[in-house]
Amino acid sequence: MLPNKSILKVEHLSISFGGLKAVDDLSFEIAQNQIYGLIGPNGAGKTTVFNCITKFYTPDSGNAWFHTKQGKTVNLVDHKVHDIVGLGMVRTFQNVELIKELSILDNLLIGAHSQFKTGVLAQSFRLRKAVLEENEYRTKARSIIEYMGLGGKDAELVGGQPYGTLKRIELARTLMSNPKLIILDEPAAGLNGTETQALAGLIKQIRIDFNCSVLLVEHDMTLVMGVCERICAISFGKKLAEGTPTEIRNNQSVQEAYLGKDE
Amino acid sequence: MNKSTTFLPTLMPMLRLAWKKAWFRYVSFGVVLAALPLIPGMTSSNATILGSVVYFSIAALGFQVLLGYSGQISLGHTAFIGVGAYVSGYIVKELGLPFPLAVLAAAVLPFILGLVLGLIALRLEGYYLAIATLGLAESIRIVFIEAHGFTRGFSGFFSNYPRVLGYQFNKGSTYVFMVAILVALMILVYNFINAATGRALAAMRSSQSAAQAMGVSLFKYKLMAFAISTGFAGIAGAMYMHFFRYSDPTIWNSGLSLNLVVACIVGGIASIEGAVIGAAFVVAMPELLRIVPGLGSINGASFVLSGVVIILVLLFYPGGLVNVASDIGKLRSRLSKGSKHPERSTEYVAE
Ligand SMILES: Nc1ncnc2c1ncn2[C@@H]1O[C@H](COP(=O)(O)OP(=O)(O)OP(=O)(O)O)[C@@H](O)[C@H]1O
Ligand SMILES: [Mg+2]
Repeated sequence: MLPNKSILKVEHLSISFGGLKAVDDLSFEIAQNQIYGLIGPNGAGKTTVFNCITKFYTPDSGNAWFHTKQGKTVNLVDHKVHDIVGLGMVRTFQNVELIKELSILDNLLIGAHSQFKTGVLAQSFRLRKAVLEENEYRTKARSIIEYMGLGGKDAELVGGQPYGTLKRIELARTLMSNPKLIILDEPAAGLNGTETQALAGLIKQIRIDFNCSVLLVEHDMTLVMGVCERICAISFGKKLAEGTPTEIRNNQSVQEAYLGKDE
Repeated sequence: MNKSTTFLPTLMPMLRLAWKKAWFRYVSFGVVLAALPLIPGMTSSNATILGSVVYFSIAALGFQVLLGYSGQISLGHTAFIGVGAYVSGYIVKELGLPFPLAVLAAAVLPFILGLVLGLIALRLEGYYLAIATLGLAESIRIVFIEAHGFTRGFSGFFSNYPRVLGYQFNKGSTYVFMVAILVALMILVYNFINAATGRALAAMRSSQSAAQAMGVSLFKYKLMAFAISTGFAGIAGAMYMHFFRYSDPTIWNSGLSLNLVVACIVGGIASIEGAVIGAAFVVAMPELLRIVPGLGSINGASFVLSGVVIILVLLFYPGGLVNVASDIGKLRSRLSKGSKHPERSTEYVAE
């Protein structure tokens, strides 16, 4: 099903909305500790792939084999949407999904939700184990805020932060769940050149420091070509090509798909 | 005089420190609330109104978990208060079992009822919970009317002040007991709202996608919030039964269910203090209207006014009455800025 050196293997994934085949028999495989890119023109189905493997959508057919952080191999398609993060795969959203009313620290703590073991009763009575657990993750959240270059902003509300900061908070939140695979939907969208460059360095650093793999969807080709070791290009839900950045850049059908769309 | 001047400077910082702790604020509030009936000139009927505020605060606090914190609505919560009232009354009066056991049962039974109803209604998206609770409340009211052996129907169920370990409560001590229960529940709610559970609920209200992606089961948290609210309603019912020592089916009507909604919105949505302030508002308003000549005799005047107030609050003051004090403070500091007390205004800004 899934070789040991792989973290995720998507097999014959398909989903359609009405008559539209958003993802069409798509297969690709990500190796452990790899940074993998998924590219394609607007409406190619990239976000839909994310929604299928994180179970926001249930695919019509296909599998998504995953090596969980518990050491098991599971088909993500058989799991519930809220169980995915606990297995070791965590996502961001194309349109930044944060809790505006809460502080940056609290938003990061939500990222650790799947890690919490104490329940509502232990929290209500502030049992020792609940207090210790809360403190443990608060400390972790503070260090990740620091790591992401947001030090000192712990208590600030998320609402009203500049867009680049919001993107960073959302990325920081993924790190709280102790992930094996982080999937990022357009992490550079809305960022300027310098910010994008910083992001590229950060993604590479995260892969090392948190010992995980990264799957990213991105339109910014300097970012994609700069950080990804392998890339899968799709169009109209179908795979066009897969390979190294150089192979993808030189691929005839990839060029056509992009040129056909842009101007 | 001399003593207090040396005593105060050491006491004030300690108090200020303690005031930062929610439990200290709630206990202080409880002490003041418990002492209110002792105010000279307090009539017995005013003390009864206070009892009403406290029992209804317990129900409103639970309802705040549902409406304010989990973002769901129920239109039949009064039925769960009624169940708590009859169950506790029956256990003490008919079965002769101890009062604490009756309170426990009055919490657990509605809690389980809430779980079961939630398991069915929450599987469906949308307003099914509101409709299901409305329907269940009507069925339960019919049970209250018809199950004569259990509720005495319209003749009414009479009970006594609590008796615990040989100590017989009277009206005053029952009131203090209710305040203690309210304060304890406020602290418990504060604790879990300011922990992982509260964050999960906040995430669920603000971005369901984010909540789910971070591992929050919407179903689990909706169900939990609902069952907590029905459990609290049951406790409120037990308090009612042993403070007013009477229950009949007309008390547990749908107007009372709506009052829970009004209390949480007018007092301040997603606020523990707001639930209590809102409960005081809905209990006190009809009493105040009664004093107004002409209005008091109009049937349903308070009902209409509730509707008007809820619309006014939603439109112009969505934070609810709980913000009045801090807003007045802000207004005062803004007014004093640049005029009489410039040094004081900078102090406000620094905070
Ligand atoms: N829930 C849905 N219902 C109907 N159609 C959908 C739904 N989700 C996606 N689609 C359609 O599926 C196709 C793929 O959309 P998707 O969002 O996956 O594209 P994308 O590759 O992420 O594009 P972009 O780069 O613009 O983000 C689009 O045609 C879109 O309209
Ligand atoms: Mg997309």
